[in-house]
Amino acid sequence: MRHRVRAAAALVAAGALIAAGCGAGSGTNEAGSPKEPISLRFQSLAFQPESIAANKEIVAEWNKANPNVKVEYVQGDWGSVQDQLVTGFEGGTAPDIFHYESSYLRDFADRGNLLDLNDYLTDKTRRDIRPAIWDTATFDDGVYGMPFLLDAFVVFANKKLLDEAGIKVPAPDDPWTWDEFTANAKKLTKQGRYGAAFALKSPANRILNLSLNFDGKFFAQQDDKSQAVFGAPEKVVLQRIHDMLYKDKIAAPEAIGMGGADTLPAFFDGKFAMVPSGIWLRQQIIEQAPKDFEWVTIPALKGTSQTQAAAPQTLSVSADTKHPEEAVKFMEFFLSPKNQARLANGDAMVPASQGALDDPVLTKTPGWEVAVASGSFLQKAPFQTVKGYEEWKNKIANPSIQEYFQDRITIDQLGQKLVKDGNGILERYQR
Amino acid sequence: MMTRTSPSRRALQYLALAGYLVFLAFPLWWLISTALKTPQEIARIDPTVIPIHPTLENFRTAFEQQPILRSILNTLYVAGVSSLVTVGLAVPGAYVMARYRSIVGKSTMVWVLLSQIFPFILVIIPLFLIVRDFGLFDTHLGLIIVYIVWSMPFALWMLRSHVQSIPIEVEEAAAIDGASRVRMIREILAPLLVPGVVATALFTFVSAWNEFFFALVLLKSPELSTLSLTLVKFIGAEGVARLGALAAASLVATIPSLIFFAIIQRHLTSGLLSGAVKS
Amino acid sequence: MSRSTTVPEGTSAQAGRRRTAGRQPGRTPGRHGSGRPSGRRTLLGLDRDGLILVIPALLPIVAFSVYPLLRGIYLGFTDARAGRNSVTSFTGFENYAQLLGDSYFWSSFRIGLIWAVAVTALQFFLAFGLALLLNEPLRMRWLARTLALVPWAMPPVVIGIMWRLVYHPNAGILNTILGDLGLISRDVDWLNTAELALPAVILVAVWAGMPQTTVVLLAGLQGVRQELHEAAAVDGAGSWRRFWSVTLPHLRPIIVAITTLDFIWNFNSFGLVYVLTQGGPGGETRLPLLFAYEEAFRYGNYGYAAALGNAMVIVIALFVVFYLRIRMREDD
Repeated sequence: MRHRVRAAAALVAAGALIAAGCGAGSGTNEAGSPKEPISLRFQSLAFQPESIAANKEIVAEWNKANPNVKVEYVQGDWGSVQDQLVTGFEGGTAPDIFHYESSYLRDFADRGNLLDLNDYLTDKTRRDIRPAIWDTATFDDGVYGMPFLLDAFVVFANKKLLDEAGIKVPAPDDPWTWDEFTANAKKLTKQGRYGAAFALKSPANRILNLSLNFDGKFFAQQDDKSQAVFGAPEKVVLQRIHDMLYKDKIAAPEAIGMGGADTLPAFFDGKFAMVPSGIWLRQQIIEQAPKDFEWVTIPALKGTSQTQAAAPQTLSVSADTKHPEEAVKFMEFFLSPKNQARLANGDAMVPASQGALDDPVLTKTPGWEVAVASGSFLQKAPFQTVKGYEEWKNKIANPSIQEYFQDRITIDQLGQKLVKDGNGILERYQR
Repeated sequence: MMTRTSPSRRALQYLALAGYLVFLAFPLWWLISTALKTPQEIARIDPTVIPIHPTLENFRTAFEQQPILRSILNTLYVAGVSSLVTVGLAVPGAYVMARYRSIVGKSTMVWVLLSQIFPFILVIIPLFLIVRDFGLFDTHLGLIIVYIVWSMPFALWMLRSHVQSIPIEVEEAAAIDGASRVRMIREILAPLLVPGVVATALFTFVSAWNEFFFALVLLKSPELSTLSLTLVKFIGAEGVARLGALAAASLVATIPSLIFFAIIQRHLTSGLLSGAVKS
Repeated sequence: MSRSTTVPEGTSAQAGRRRTAGRQPGRTPGRHGSGRPSGRRTLLGLDRDGLILVIPALLPIVAFSVYPLLRGIYLGFTDARAGRNSVTSFTGFENYAQLLGDSYFWSSFRIGLIWAVAVTALQFFLAFGLALLLNEPLRMRWLARTLALVPWAMPPVVIGIMWRLVYHPNAGILNTILGDLGLISRDVDWLNTAELALPAVILVAVWAGMPQTTVVLLAGLQGVRQELHEAAAVDGAGSWRRFWSVTLPHLRPIIVAITTLDFIWNFNSFGLVYVLTQGGPGGETRLPLLFAYEEAFRYGNYGYAAALGNAMVIVIALFVVFYLRIRMREDD
């Protein structure tokens, strides 16, 4: 026993020494001149297998073509990326290039963590993406991210059930209104089946994006400050979904707390006839559906307009990077029209690049016409540039909208929270 | 045993044990079952308890997409080293705290309790800066040091209770024989402490094995990733996870420690005996 | 006990222990304040041996625990925020004034108390029952022992994922079983229904934390000298009486230690909830430390998060002191 303890102690000491040696030995590359090989770290949030594969392929192609600028692929994940970036920037170890979403960039930009891309982007890259989409990552004239994947809220439906009920699939240029959607959901509802199932686990982003259908903006500028607001336009989408849940009983209450793909088992089983969701869900349906399951993509719904807020996925460059020029070059390569098509295909989403839209890789996918149509109505919404939006959303909006959809508070109580409590939080960011 | 247990009492005991077994085992069974299912079967509305078409496809996906094996080795290394060092340092310390009437002992115990009370949030921000300034950010050694420090209070506390439950007369006898205190600890106390030491080492090993947040904050390089970090990367946007592959990876992740525990659990019972005999 | 029959050396071990057990009744082991009277005191009441023994354990604690903690406490009185250009200044009790008026903090505080008390109590009773069973010479005990350790061997991340699979409203096993038994008529979304989410995560925490408590109690039970039981049995005490008069008093220090620690750990833990519900639905499972974690690492409000941590310290300290005083009084 004694010997074992001693041996173990010796081992430990040895192990610690080795580890210390390793730590000291693997210093970072301090590239003096651009001719010396440098390395960059690129963190991706891809999570669907096809998408991860596409990401890694493109990185490999870059590395082959640019042996002096080696890019290391780092796998990140949506669940912990916010925390990880905040600590990474504080510790000086954030990735050089990272994948995220436009609506979260504002706070990082304010903290001085992001490189302003204005001085680096080529004109070719600028022209490839519509100005409305660039706007989502532009704050106070600084461009802090390059948008590449767009998502829109569409409706997936069980084809067999639509046929049984005699419901026709609308064309992308003649979308259903919310009224038509509700009426059809009513037709599809019967014993043991709901016409629709909204999976709104983190509802705030989704609801804010959709509320632009009825011009609901949730924030207003006042004296150079953002204020949370809640009036008639903001109420419409919330009220309509709530009615479908509790008044008409044509939407499944058990689905309301689910994450995106959680509704699929019941969807495949015919318990939910229609599943409104982001376009990205296509990929999961293709992957998981039983062989004999027939489904269609119904174009985005129309309120007073079809407008939805665009919250594109983006690539940004850290302000701490030692090689900003190379980092931006890699980013532009990674997001070339051809590569955007591959990435969009991997995630079943719509590329921000105009040049990627005609790529046959995309045009052949199921539901593509519907997906591509969404490119035209996506816009920047006020909430995307509000300072402190992340905290407002996570601390107040998500929980209280959930409470509203669980029928535990009224719409006026919801408004009270979003505005009164919400402004208390925004206050802190505007001092 | 001098007393006998009545059959009806035994029956009740078995019934209770069966209840515990079901409660403990059924989530694990579900994990195993999910790991063996095809994506189509996972998505079935009426879930099957036993997979109809068992497949190892999920394991292939898991190993292809994430460096599971590497993460397991990383975690074994970090947890193993930190638990050995912790216990090695804590045994003598705990002895002093149990047996000396000293300010050091008292204030340490107060600190041990206090530091347990302090939530991790108060520590992680400054600790993060310190580890960075020592050049240990994003290294295993940095994480190991943090784990040692973080499990030390608990190790001291547990071992102190175990020292206290050993009768003082044992030591008094040794003292009369003229043994030095250090020798007495090594040759008389240590063997008696084996069950306590095993339990404490287990605690520290497993808490390091399971730990997630320190690793999340202190490790950034994928090749250094511990198991929890790697597994979290399976969870994608909007809570969508690749359930089959995730279950498969989780299962693989649990196997080494399951084996470890299966071996160790016998020692938890026999440790006391063998220790007494070998002395 | 079974081990004296299955392990050959058992007899000599028992003999050995019988020798040490022949001490005066009434002196509980381990309740001594000091060891041998030492004439060689040098520093802080420790002799040379003592210092040599204790310093290796204390050094890392001071460097990596005392100092960071003090700095963390100080942060709670500043407006420290994340950011390259942010300037930190001392703000005194401003954070605490804000905390007092923060209704989101108070609701999370209430949830934290329910969580910590419920998890600790359930963990203790279930673990004690299991430890007693595992201490009996039952068949299949090895299986139960191994299984009892399984939750412990699993990272909280895995446990969270696993129970998400179990609780899944459509594809989960729990609804299927309850449905087949006729206990529920339609699928329940356990983790996303306001009233059910907290109980559901509490159950997971109990499952996950039970093994630690069980192992500690089992180790304690095995330290109970058989002779005492035998002596009590000779005196005609039934098994229930023996449990109360022999087992429980012996275990008391261990029980106090483990329940205190469990309570503190549970109050300070949020890993499972982080994976299972992220504090949802509607903030129903947003534990105080999850709240603080988000303040610091999602929003970058270090000062406010540290202030929240300081407030939690005071709350836990009050609880623990209160609890320990009651238990210690019972001891005497």
